[in-house]
Amino acid sequence: MADVPTLSVTMLGAGQEVGRSCCVLQYRGKTVVCDTGVHPAYSGIASLPFVDELDWSTVDAVLITHFHLDHAAALIYITEKTNFRDGKGKVYMSHPTKALYKFMMQDFLRMSSSGSDALFSPIDMAMCLSFITPVSAHQLITISPGLTFTPYHAGHVLGACMFLIDIAGLRILYTGDYSREEDRHLIKAELPPVRPDVLIVESTYGVQSLEGREDKEARFTSLVHSIIRRGGHVLLPSFALGRAQELLLILDEYWKKHPDLHTVPIYYASSLARKCMAVYQTYIHTMNSNIRSRFAKRDNPFVFKHISSMSQPKGWEKKIAEGPPCVVLASPGFMQVGASRELFELWAPDSRNGLIITGYSVEGTPARDILTEPEDFVTLKGNTIPRKISVDYISFSAHVDYSQNAEFIDLVKAQHIVLVHGEATAMSRLRAALTAKYKDSDDEVKIHTPRNLETLNLTFRSERVAKAIGT
Amino acid sequence: MASSVFYKFRSQREESRITFNGTGISVFDLKREIILANNLGKANDFDLYVYDAATNQEFPDDAQIIQRSSSIVVKRLPSAKPGRGKAAMYIANANNNNNNNNNSAAPEPSARPASSQNGPSSSYYKGVMSKRFDGKEDPAPA
Ligand SMILES: [Zn+2]
Ligand SMILES: [Zn+2]
Repeated sequence: MADVPTLSVTMLGAGQEVGRSCCVLQYRGKTVVCDTGVHPAYSGIASLPFVDELDWSTVDAVLITHFHLDHAAALIYITEKTNFRDGKGKVYMSHPTKALYKFMMQDFLRMSSSGSDALFSPIDMAMCLSFITPVSAHQLITISPGLTFTPYHAGHVLGACMFLIDIAGLRILYTGDYSREEDRHLIKAELPPVRPDVLIVESTYGVQSLEGREDKEARFTSLVHSIIRRGGHVLLPSFALGRAQELLLILDEYWKKHPDLHTVPIYYASSLARKCMAVYQTYIHTMNSNIRSRFAKRDNPFVFKHISSMSQPKGWEKKIAEGPPCVVLASPGFMQVGASRELFELWAPDSRNGLIITGYSVEGTPARDILTEPEDFVTLKGNTIPRKISVDYISFSAHVDYSQNAEFIDLVKAQHIVLVHGEATAMSRLRAALTAKYKDSDDEVKIHTPRNLETLNLTFRSERVAKAIGT
Repeated sequence: MASSVFYKFRSQREESRITFNGTGISVFDLKREIILANNLGKANDFDLYVYDAATNQEFPDDAQIIQRSSSIVVKRLPSAKPGRGKAAMYIANANNNNNNNNNSAAPEPSARPASSQNGPSSSYYKGVMSKRFDGKEDPAPA
C-alpha cells in the first residue's frame, strides 16, 4: 500500500540512558509528547532532552507520568521558552502529580537560581502551572477529535500514571516508571484492559532481579539495627519525596516494635517533604488498602511517631554527626553536595558508621561511585579522606525488575515493544533476553531500543499485523 | 566598539546575544561563547550545530567568519558517539589563549560572553563531585 500511515517514535531523551525522559509520538498528523524530564547529571540547557529538533507548536499534548525530575522538570522550559504556546497543545498530569509538581519545581528553582543557568523564572513557573490540566486515573480524556488517552496507576510514586494513548484507533501504552509490587503505601501498576499495538516500557533494571519486599525490608532494618548496635551512625541519602516516605513507614514501624531503639533518634529534616505531607494525606484514597484502613481507624500512617522532622538550625549536620548513634535521611539522594554529602564526609573515616544507598543511582554521581567501595574519597574541599564507613545497597526505588517487567510485557501483548529509560548495556541485555523469549512465539514481536533522535518508523496494516520499517 | 551576533537555540522563542570586538567572529569562537554562556562545557553528550537564521544553511566550517549583527540558530544534537561530545574542546584553555585550538583566527582577539558576568571560570572546571546542586534539599531522581 502506498500511503500506509506510519507511527514515528522519537526519543528526545531516555533513549539508551536513564534521565530526561521525553518521547515524541507522531501519527496521522497528531503529535503527543510523553514526559519532559531533565538529566540529573547535568544542569541548565545541557540537562534538557534534545528539544531543538521538534517544532513544539505542532504538539497536540504533553502527558507527564509523574513528578520525578527526570520526567517532569523540563516542562516549564517547554511551555514558556519554546513556541509550544503558538500551537494548540495541552498539558496533562494526574491530580496528585500536579499538587506535588508545584513544590518540586519551587525547590528545583531555588537550587538552580544560584547558578547562571536557571532554565526558567518564578513567573514562568506560575504560568506553566496554571496551564496544566489535572486528570484522574481511568478517566477517558479527549484531546481533540481522534485523539484520546486514559491514565492508569503505575505504582512507583504517589500520582504516577501510565498512559494508554489512542490516535485514530492506533493504541500506544507508555509506562513511564512503574512497579508491579505493592509496597507500604502504593498499589502496584495496573494492567490496562485493552491490548495496545505498541508498548513503550522502562528498562531501568534490565535483566536484574530485585529481592522481594519482605526480604528487602528485613535486610534493611536488621542492617540499620546492627549499625546502631556497634555504636555507629546510619546515613540514608534519599530524595525528599517519593521513596523517603516508604523508608519512613518502614523505620517507624520497626522502631515501634523495638523499645531498645526508642532512645535512638531518626532525623528527617526536609521542608519540601513537610510541605508535601498535606498532599500525601489528601490522596490517601489513591493508596493501598493497608494505608486506607489505618487511616479509617484514625491512625494516620503519615504522622510518624519515632521520626523527628522538625527543621534543623544551620550547621545541624555537624552537631548530629558528633552526637550519639542515630539514623538520618538526608538529601540529595546522589550526594553531590548538601546535607547527605556533608554527613557522608563527616562519617566516612569511622568504621562503626554505615551508609545505605536506597535507590537507583544514576551514572556519574557520587552515590554511584561509592558503590565500588573505594578506600579513599575526595571531599568537596579537595582533601582525600579514608572511607571506613560500611557501604550497602538495598534498592527501594520501585521500578520493575526483569521478571516483573517480562511478565507485564507478556500480559500487554503488544506487537512492538520499545525499550526506554535504561543504560545502554542494561537495555541490550533486556532486549536479548526478550528476543530469546519470543523467538519461537507465534505472534511476531519486535523489540526496539532507539537512541536519542533515532526515529523509529512503524507501520500497521488495518488488521494491525505490525511490521517495522526503520530500525 | 563591541559587536554582536544574535543567536537562539532552535527550540527557543527568544534570541540572546554574544558580544565581541571586531567586524566578525569565527564559528569556533561563537560556539565557544555559546557553550560558556549557557554553561554547557561539562556535558559530553552533545555537539553544537550552527545555522544561518534566514536560510537555515549550516555553517559546517569552524573557521568561517560570521559577520557582526547576524542572526543565527543553534542546535544541540546528540554526539555521534555517546559520551564523545566536543563541547570541552571548544572551551579548552579558554582562560588563557583565546585562539587555542582555533585554526581560523578571528579578526580580533575575541569575545567575553556578555551574559556571564562573573566570567566563565565559575562554571566549568568543576568535576563530577561538585555539581550545580547546592541543595539543602534535592528534588528527586529516576
Ligand atoms: Zn521516577
Ligand atoms: Zn525515571
